[in-house]
Amino acid sequence: MSLHSGIPATIEADVRHGERLEWWTLLWIGSVVVVMALVMGASQAMKSAVIEDLLSLIPAIVFLLSVHWERKQANGRFPFGYRRANSLAFLVAATALLSVGGFLVYESVTTLVRQEHPTVGGITLFGHTIWLGWLMMAALVYSVIPPLVLGRIKQPVARRISDKVLHTDALMQKADWQTGLAAIAGITGIGLGWWWADATAASFIALSIIKDAIGALQQAVAELLDGTPRALDSNGIADDAKALIAALKARFGDVEVRLRETGRYIAAEIDCAPPAAVPTGTELLGDKAWRLASLSFRPE
Amino acid sequence: MRYRFVLPIMATLLVGCDGLPRDAAGTTERIERTHAMRVTVLPGTPDARPALAMLDAYARNHGARVTLVPIHGEHAHKALEDGKIDVLIGHFAKASPWQADIALSKPVARGEPDDKARPVLRIARRNGENELILATDRLVAERAR
Repeated sequence: MSLHSGIPATIEADVRHGERLEWWTLLWIGSVVVVMALVMGASQAMKSAVIEDLLSLIPAIVFLLSVHWERKQANGRFPFGYRRANSLAFLVAATALLSVGGFLVYESVTTLVRQEHPTVGGITLFGHTIWLGWLMMAALVYSVIPPLVLGRIKQPVARRISDKVLHTDALMQKADWQTGLAAIAGITGIGLGWWWADATAASFIALSIIKDAIGALQQAVAELLDGTPRALDSNGIADDAKALIAALKARFGDVEVRLRETGRYIAAEIDCAPPAAVPTGTELLGDKAWRLASLSFRPE
Repeated sequence: MRYRFVLPIMATLLVGCDGLPRDAAGTTERIERTHAMRVTVLPGTPDARPALAMLDAYARNHGARVTLVPIHGEHAHKALEDGKIDVLIGHFAKASPWQADIALSKPVARGEPDDKARPVLRIARRNGENELILATDRLVAERAR
C-alpha cells in the first residue's frame, strides 16, 4: 500500500471477504433471475420482479469494480490514486436503488390506475396442468433466501471496512427479499381474485426502498462534495469522524478542523502550524487508524 | 422490523388458498349462477367447432349452457375486456397485438406453430379471470394429449 493507493493490511481480509460475498451475490441472484424468467409467463408482476433483480446486481458489480480500482497504483495522471472510485460507485449504487424503488412505484401505480387484472393461467408439466401461481410462489421463495442471507452477512463486513457501497448493496438485498415476500402475497392475492393485491403490496415496499435510496443518495452527494464523513446508515456525521475531530481539538486546541472522505478514507485539515511531533493514526483513531489517509496543517 | 405485517397477511392469505385461483370479476361464479356462458366466435373462424365443444363441456360441468353472442369482430375484443362476454373464440397469433389485453390459450387441437406471427385457433379469456383461465387451459391441454 502506498500513500494514495492500495488497501490497508488491517482491512485487506475483510475487503476480500466483501469481494467473495459480491461474487456469491452475482451467482445467486443470477440464478434467481433465470428461475424467475422461466416461470414468469405473461405476469407483469413477475416481469417487474425479474427487472428489479437485474437492477439489484448493479451495487455488487460497482463494488467489485471500485475495489479493483482502489488497488491500482497512483500515477502521473492520477496522483491521488483511484480511491474515489468507491465514492463514485456509491453514487451509482444509490442511484440503482432509487431506480428500483421508482420502477416499482411506476409499475404499481399504473396497475392500480388502469385497474389491470393480472392473468396467471396454467402450465402443463409432466402431463398435468397446474396453476402457474404455485410455481411463481416457489420461485419467489427461492428468490427471497439468497438476499436474506447475503444481506445480513454483508452488513457487519461493510461496517468493519466503512464501505458505503457494500452497505447500499445490503440495503438492495433487503429490498430484494422484501419485494419477494410482497410478490408472494401479491400472487396469493391474485389467486384469491384480488387484482389490486400485488400492486398494493409492491407500492408499500417501493416507498420504503425509495426512502433508503434517498438517504444513500444524500450521503453519496455529501461525499462527492467533500462533506464531513457521514455514517454508513444515515446522513449524520460518522462516529469515527466525530472522535477524530475531538482528538485533534484536544491535541491542538480550539482550531478549525475539516474532514472529508475519499471512498473509505478520511483526510483531515487543521488550521494551525505543523507540530514538532505529528500524532499517528493509532493515537487519533485507535483501531480505525487505517481510515486516516492524510493529515494536513495550514498555518495562519 | 417494519414489515412484521407481511407474515400475518401471508398467513391469512394462505388460509384461504384452498381452491386457488379465483376470478377477479367472478366470471365462473356468474356462469354457475345464471346457467349461461356467453361466447362469441370471431368471423372468419370456420374451425371453431373443437373450441366450442370444449366450452360446451365446461359449461355443462358448471350447470350452464353456451350462449352464442353475435358481436361484430371489431368490437369483440372490447366486449371481452369489458366483461360483456365470457370467452372469445378466434384465430390469434402467439405474438398477437391483443396479447396484453386478453388472456390467450395455447392453440386448440394443434401444436404451437414455429411462426409466432401465424394466427391459429385459440380461446381468449378476460384478463384476471384466473379460475376460468386455468380451467380452460386444462381442457386445451387435455385435448392436445
